[in-house]
Amino acid sequence: MRRKSGPAWLSVLTLSCVSLAACGQPAGPAPAAKATSPPEAAAKPTAAPAQPAAQAPATPAAKASAAGQPPVELRFAWWGSQDRHDRTIKAIQLFQQKNPGITISYEFAGFQDYFTKMTTQATGGNLPDLMQQDYATLSNWVGNSQLLALDSFVSDNTINLSSVAKNSIDGGRIGGKLYAVNLGNNSQTVVLDVAAFDKAGVPLPAPNWTWADFEKTVLDIHTKLGTYGAGPTLSDQQLWKSLYLGYGKWGFSQDGKALGYTDDQPLVDYFKLLLRLQEAGAIPSVQDEIAQWRTASVEARPIVAAKSAMDYMWSNQLVAVWTAAGADRKLRLQPLPRPVGGQSENYFKPSQFISITAGSKHPKEAAMFVDFITNDVDANKILLGERGVPIAPAVLEAIKPLSTPAQVEVLDYLSRLEKDNSPLPPPDPAAQPKLIDNIYLPQLVDPVLFGRISPEAAVTSFRKDATALLQSQ
Amino acid sequence: MIAVSRPARPRLSSTAITSIVFHTGVCGLGFLMLYPLLWVAASSFKPPDQIFTDVTSLVPTTFTLDNYAQGWAGFGGISFTIFFRNSLIYAGFGTVLTVCASALTAYGFARLRFAGQRVWFTLMIMTLMLPVQVQVIPEYILFAKLGWLNTFWPLLLPRIGGQAFFIFMIMQFIRGIPRELDDAAAIDGCGEFGTFFRIIVPLITPALVTAAIFSFYFTWGDFLHPLIYLNDPKLYTISVALRTFADPSTVTNWGAIFAMSTLALVPVFAVFIFFQRYLVEGISTAGLHGR
Amino acid sequence: MAGVAPDSVSRQMGLGASARPAAATAARPRAWQRNLTGYLFIAPWLFGFLSFTALPMIGSAFLAFTDYNVLSPTLRWVGLDNFQRMFFNDSRYWRAVSATFSFALAAVPLKLAFALALAMLFNNSRRLVYGYRAAYYAPSIVGASVAVAVVWREMFGRSGLINNALAAVGVTGHAWLGDPSTALWTVILLSVWEFGSPMLIFLAGLRQIPSQFYEAAAIDGAGRWVRFLRITVPLLTPLIFFNLVLQMIFGFTVFTSAFIISGGTGAPLDSLLLYSLYLYQKGFKDSQMGYAAAMAWVLLAVIACFTALIFRSSSRWVYYESESEGER
Repeated sequence: MRRKSGPAWLSVLTLSCVSLAACGQPAGPAPAAKATSPPEAAAKPTAAPAQPAAQAPATPAAKASAAGQPPVELRFAWWGSQDRHDRTIKAIQLFQQKNPGITISYEFAGFQDYFTKMTTQATGGNLPDLMQQDYATLSNWVGNSQLLALDSFVSDNTINLSSVAKNSIDGGRIGGKLYAVNLGNNSQTVVLDVAAFDKAGVPLPAPNWTWADFEKTVLDIHTKLGTYGAGPTLSDQQLWKSLYLGYGKWGFSQDGKALGYTDDQPLVDYFKLLLRLQEAGAIPSVQDEIAQWRTASVEARPIVAAKSAMDYMWSNQLVAVWTAAGADRKLRLQPLPRPVGGQSENYFKPSQFISITAGSKHPKEAAMFVDFITNDVDANKILLGERGVPIAPAVLEAIKPLSTPAQVEVLDYLSRLEKDNSPLPPPDPAAQPKLIDNIYLPQLVDPVLFGRISPEAAVTSFRKDATALLQSQ
Repeated sequence: MIAVSRPARPRLSSTAITSIVFHTGVCGLGFLMLYPLLWVAASSFKPPDQIFTDVTSLVPTTFTLDNYAQGWAGFGGISFTIFFRNSLIYAGFGTVLTVCASALTAYGFARLRFAGQRVWFTLMIMTLMLPVQVQVIPEYILFAKLGWLNTFWPLLLPRIGGQAFFIFMIMQFIRGIPRELDDAAAIDGCGEFGTFFRIIVPLITPALVTAAIFSFYFTWGDFLHPLIYLNDPKLYTISVALRTFADPSTVTNWGAIFAMSTLALVPVFAVFIFFQRYLVEGISTAGLHGR
Repeated sequence: MAGVAPDSVSRQMGLGASARPAAATAARPRAWQRNLTGYLFIAPWLFGFLSFTALPMIGSAFLAFTDYNVLSPTLRWVGLDNFQRMFFNDSRYWRAVSATFSFALAAVPLKLAFALALAMLFNNSRRLVYGYRAAYYAPSIVGASVAVAVVWREMFGRSGLINNALAAVGVTGHAWLGDPSTALWTVILLSVWEFGSPMLIFLAGLRQIPSQFYEAAAIDGAGRWVRFLRITVPLLTPLIFFNLVLQMIFGFTVFTSAFIISGGTGAPLDSLLLYSLYLYQKGFKDSQMGYAAAMAWVLLAVIACFTALIFRSSSRWVYYESESEGER
């Protein structure tokens, strides 16, 4: 009897699987919430990028009729660590108190797993209504029509961005439409261990220091103290792109289909600088970097154990570093070095975004939550800028008095940068992760720093391979 | 000393020496084997500003239990009590299903002859060879269609079929048992089911115990499936919860991770200790062998 | 060697290696009855396979011929493009292949030898053996925990345990995980370190060997070594065979250890870019699930060939107490 049921199962499932593989998804019935069926969504399975645009105007109207009656259920997913989970869950509870008709269920994961989970959910048409997004992945998700354009909610003030600086909003704009709202600003920085500088008798660098100053400082500290002058991951792709910001350019062209610069010399010079420092033992060698730091969490950085006097990272990571290093340490944030006579290499980057998925059945309510997390002072007193410096000025003012010394240094650093920074570059092209994993690190950075190939040759072939990949996307 | 005492009691002293060599060697190597675990356990008692500043020492200079308190608190009110419960459900039911189904199937493949046997066996071995990473998405789509997301069904139901690893393993044990025993049972009027339950099952106890130990540990540690199928944090298993502590870009509470990682090993280890007895008792059944 | 030994042992024990058919043929059931019983026994697996495993497998085979990118709702049939690109146009693919072969060739024999040796060592009733067994098995239960990644990094780091120990004997340290020539060895070591499962299987097998065999051999004056070669090894061959097949499959599909040690990148210089890791990168990070599926099926084909070879050879060296001419 059982034997017979096997093939029956098989045929039914084969059918469903094939039909599904053929048209992909995206809007199968979300099985968890069976309450409503998705009539419009099912009707247009393969409509490509036009879809979110078509849906956006339709939804507020549909909402108006439904508003008020049955409780609306939303799902929100994010990545982060324990601290973020705790704070976000509390903020969600506050939102539910303030909006009795809406409940939000939530799910979270570590960063390494988050996109695996979300990608899989996308295939089953089971994405949450709200999801946290990364600057590096945004283009890809928008390009595949998974996210909803938010412009109509901004114009009807459901999401109030009137007080927010344009620079802090535009990171979420792709092809002229806003797909994601910045959850907090961030900028690259060099953390200085003030005590180490004092001990070495090396003066703290000026805010507009150059890469030549950087090299000298690193070497001075290394000779005087014997520790590393600066930490690992100076070949990070963010620094490559920012390097060209100093020349008024960027790693990628505006449309993301080519490299954004024509002169390879600055990159060659930069690798030569790294090779000199590595040779001198003033920064960790590439072997040590890969072995211990490239993918490790910030708590393991050498500056934590006072093994290096400077360390490159993102401004919001200072909190973690300071916690691990101990409260008695004195750390300070310094802007990135720049080319001689060049511009600032710093810009305000959205540390992460919140976005609404294209399949959401309650985009209006989801947009209300986006507004809440952006503008609500009470909510942000719970969140305390853990995701980055809040973009709404009123919120920023309100949380300042509640912050720890590390958080205050981060807030101050970003306000110091206000006066001198470069405009926000365009979001990374969709092929960016591919470029970094398959070309930038394995074919350029590592072979050069291992001494397998000259910087000149590697940079030339990088241009060739990267251009081919960017054009093909 | 050996030479001198030889006429008197040679056996004893040479056993003593063997014994000392044995224990010293095993302890030395054992320390190396355990070092990483001891490191994790030691770090779980260090305050957060010592874990990465005082990396090599196995003895915390300041001893704290805070990590355990903070870790156990979990996320936003969902504590490790819940994660432990979920893992026990998954690993417990999963193991029972896997071992029972695997044993039955293994007997079928090892002892019986039927049409299509080779094909099915080959297919079964093939299921071991396809990397799980590419099966995840079609499988997810299947369970999404069945409406089973955010439940334990996608995790437990496939276990109804046992797992190829265990089926094959138990088969190998069964094939090591002489057939005269089955034949004797057949003469006594047992059918195949009788033979299986009365003769084979007692004889393969060590194999079933081994399968239970592994299955429990594999399931306990299984991360990918719970990550994908369980959305509500109240359903998360330990393996998922442990990885949601860590974020490379923001504050990671490593002390809590180490503390909970240490605790997470306890049930798996307990299962091993508990079942180890049966591994040894298996020997007594060997008496049947000589008849 | 193994083929001869057990026969003589069995004869000594008065078992008669081919006593099998006598009773079985007497009450030979009809074909349909045999088939029914057979299918009843494998019914659980068959049900599980047909309803939950077969479709995802077929699905992934289908995807291997498409440009499926996971996020996009559309996909295109691309024929053999994925395979062509893999074989002729992807240098990292070949690096992954070579890293995987190196890994499997080193890790599988090492792990099996270690497991067998320790199982032998712990197959006695000395005091403390319970404790030892538990201690040696302990590393195998930590699996893919995040904590292990950190420990491994710290142990093999510039000022970690390994370098400190080497410094004590005057050898200069080394960035083990960062040097392309040593990084793979640390992953091999991690995999050998978790040798507990084959060890337990061997132990359970050793426990199944009737002590009468050894007693009889001892009476005949066989020494330790002879007993090991003539009794232990032959009677353990079904499990050696099992462990060999399974560890080989695991060796080729290994993912977790390389993933946690290299943080998912395969660095340094792709020396840790094991096949499954590259496949995961392609499928989930680069959104090329079609390509990943194609890679997976090529891997399956390769493993299947090796497995078939081992199965073929098994009739020559695997001895089944229940099957006189060693079928299959």
